[in-house]
Amino acid sequence: MTKWNKNFYRSLVITSFIGLMVLLLFGISQILSYLNTGADRSVMLRLALNKENTYLPKVIWKDTVNPGRLIEKQTMIDIEEDYLNAWYIRQVAYQTNKKEGVEDYYTTNASERIAKILKTNRSKAITIHGTTTDHNISLDFYSADGQLAVITDQNVKEYQQIYKDDNLILETEEQSDYQVMLLLEDGYWRIRHLVKEKSSVPQKSKTTNKFAKVVRYKIYIDGKEFRIKGINYYPQKSPWDMFGEQFDPDTVSKDFDIIKKAGLNTVRIFVQYSDFGKTRVDAKKMKKLKQVLDLAKLKELKVVVTLFDFYGDYSVLDWTATHRHAEQIVSAFKEHEAILAWDIKNEPDLDFENRNKENVVAWLKEMINQVRKYDPNHLVTIGWASALAAPILDEEVDFVSFHYYLPLQDFNDTFSELSIMIDKPIVLQEFGLPSSRGFWNPFGATEKKQAKFHQEFQKIINKDQIHFLSWTLYDFEKVPSSVVGSLPWRKHKQKHFGFIDKNGKKKEAFKFINKE
Amino acid sequence: MNLKKKYNIIGICIILLCCVGFTAVIKPFVQEVTVLEKPKTSFVAGKEVVLDFRLSKKVTTRLFIHSSFGSTLLMSSTGRFILPTSISEKKGIISYTLFLGTKKLAKGEIIIEPNLKTPLQLESYVGPPSIIAGGKDYTMQVVIAKDGYDNPLPDSTAIWLKHQFLNIEKEETVLSKDMIGWQNRFSYDQSGRLLLSSQVNAKISKEFSVEVFPSLPEDFEINSIRKHNYADGNQIVELMTSVLKDQYGNIISDGTWVTYNVIDAKGALLKTQGSTVNGVAVAKILHPDHKDTWKIKAYVPGIAESNTITIAFEPVIEDYPIEFRMQNREIVVGPLSSFMNQLIPNGALVEVKIINENHQIETLTKSTFEGKAKFVLKKEFYPSGIYDIHIKALGVHKEFKQLPLE
Repeated sequence: MTKWNKNFYRSLVITSFIGLMVLLLFGISQILSYLNTGADRSVMLRLALNKENTYLPKVIWKDTVNPGRLIEKQTMIDIEEDYLNAWYIRQVAYQTNKKEGVEDYYTTNASERIAKILKTNRSKAITIHGTTTDHNISLDFYSADGQLAVITDQNVKEYQQIYKDDNLILETEEQSDYQVMLLLEDGYWRIRHLVKEKSSVPQKSKTTNKFAKVVRYKIYIDGKEFRIKGINYYPQKSPWDMFGEQFDPDTVSKDFDIIKKAGLNTVRIFVQYSDFGKTRVDAKKMKKLKQVLDLAKLKELKVVVTLFDFYGDYSVLDWTATHRHAEQIVSAFKEHEAILAWDIKNEPDLDFENRNKENVVAWLKEMINQVRKYDPNHLVTIGWASALAAPILDEEVDFVSFHYYLPLQDFNDTFSELSIMIDKPIVLQEFGLPSSRGFWNPFGATEKKQAKFHQEFQKIINKDQIHFLSWTLYDFEKVPSSVVGSLPWRKHKQKHFGFIDKNGKKKEAFKFINKE
Repeated sequence: MNLKKKYNIIGICIILLCCVGFTAVIKPFVQEVTVLEKPKTSFVAGKEVVLDFRLSKKVTTRLFIHSSFGSTLLMSSTGRFILPTSISEKKGIISYTLFLGTKKLAKGEIIIEPNLKTPLQLESYVGPPSIIAGGKDYTMQVVIAKDGYDNPLPDSTAIWLKHQFLNIEKEETVLSKDMIGWQNRFSYDQSGRLLLSSQVNAKISKEFSVEVFPSLPEDFEINSIRKHNYADGNQIVELMTSVLKDQYGNIISDGTWVTYNVIDAKGALLKTQGSTVNGVAVAKILHPDHKDTWKIKAYVPGIAESNTITIAFEPVIEDYPIEFRMQNREIVVGPLSSFMNQLIPNGALVEVKIINENHQIETLTKSTFEGKAKFVLKKEFYPSGIYDIHIKALGVHKEFKQLPLE
């Protein structure tokens, strides 16, 4: 007994000694690392601003002819970078009412000027969230010693949201010309003088409707009326990841055959924002997208391409990043005949609550403008999740799209209400019923009920010749959590919307994919 | 009667209800506000900018202001807005939008002109700070004339640009454009210091100086100086250029690097360098230790070159004694005597080549001390046998064949 006691005390003493040592060493290391803060080289150097993925307005150098000196390519790059940084840092300053970083890109006098306005705004609790989308720079003067440059920046499009006490009260669009003098100081091109010279009315981009056009309630392709009879499409093996590792043109080709044979003429596909590489669009994904579009052309199907899937930022300072994403995709396919329309965003109204309705709508509005700018040939729409949201921005889109998952008997009323409000073609872009009876959903619809649902729906649709795209071709085995969350009963429901089951067998509903 | 009263009351109630109903309907029309008079559009920087909107109804409106350096929002219940000085002091276009709630009532712009009544300021940039004489190179003088609020004056402001060089003093007027007035100041033929200044109205700038360096050197002459012409390996030849000048006769800048290339009789290349002081570059090189002829030419690399001079060195010695001791294992070379029969200064190089059966085993070198050099061939390194020994000193070559080493 005494021996046990002795050992117990012994081990207690040893462990407490070790514990004490550990604590002591930890303490010393903490003190040392605290004393070292600030001595870190990466902190000492003023490294370049990390703005790569956020602020990327479209910059065009219109001309560099100037009486001073021929400008070098590298200097142009430097000036452009620092000049845009100056804009970015100023936007951030007005958003936070703090002047941190301003003096890196503005000379002392100029940054004092900004600081004064910031002070005025701070005293009134006004913050301004702004961005610029376009810059058209011409060089007026570049000095012989390469230390001074005067540029004119024309038609700078600025969008600003004005908040008072953190409430959005106004949004404005301005288009202005600026003359700017920059000085090269310790390696930075800093703004010395900045003079707004002209303000003009921003012009909207126009659609030329090269491939399809809209007259009143109807869509025309090659002069012939076109009724969208389509389906939302994901390959069975890779739902919500169509252009991933499992991409197989043969599968897509076979599926397109099934769709075409079923008498449909349109498919709706999805391009994910981050999956496609955000601001630097992945060339491999683009190649796959092109393959899909080429296949659609071959099979004589039209495609509605939904952009920005799973995108959810919408903040004003993130606008230009999304513009560059859209520019790369949309301009690459502006001559592609298979595309019927660009669908800017799938169900953006679901983000109204979390991301602020004004933010989302403003983003959509500008994005429509951007898409038209880089592709004036194709139609533009927005895939609203509910009929209630559908009238938003109806002036801007070419046709209005909405999704309907509510009771069948209310559809007629909903649709006729919409048709009164909207003077454009209205497309029922998603509808369907999952045959999801099973463990997770004991009261769900059977395949028979699903078939009945589609039969009924087709009756209504056909009566009024409504444009439709049903959800979706296949039952899926796996649904990513990012789609409906990770709850198993939700996922379960999402797996059974298809017209073809997971074994490749056509379900009863397939008969009514296109007709009653 | 009662019934009638009842009807009357109901009637009055209906009328009242209607009134209330209609006012509710009419109200928005009453609220309609129009801008009857917009404010004037031109102001001078630094003066109070008051924007007066005459509205059809007294309501609280907001004015969004967008200026060169940023935006702000003002509020007023009278239609009168006073711009903060942070905005009204800067020149340029200011656009404004008048809002009632989120409804735009008016949109317009005002212009703020620089204030010419404030004391002017000059902002000058001169560069590059040094240029080359001859009228091809230039420095640029850029002047920004500003008002007291740091606003560049309007285009076509007259700016006097002045300069002084040696006994030249000139001034010219340029008109500003794109905020700046500027001129390229080309160099004159002489080197020296160029002083620059500028003036707008009564405001004069400080002085700027630009160094005008001589242009590139022209071709030049070289010569050599030596104490005697013997190849003693001890004395030093001094090589010297003529005064290096540019094409306008300016002595080129001190420190210009001159390289002398020496080619000896065998075609080997020796090099020495010097930098100029007052246009002359001096370089030194040791005499050879054997009879030789040098061809020397100097270069300012890539820019200018000299003539070629030839100098010859005579041998200091015709012959010298060699003593073999200790069964040929100790070789004493010397005494080496020079041109007046004096002992050669310490340090002359002696070379001994040891050859066994046509195969060179070793080259030993030593420098002389008091005219002599001693070589010891140890048994451990050179086993007994027959050797050839070649000895070379001060250009004199001697061979000893079939020497037995014990």
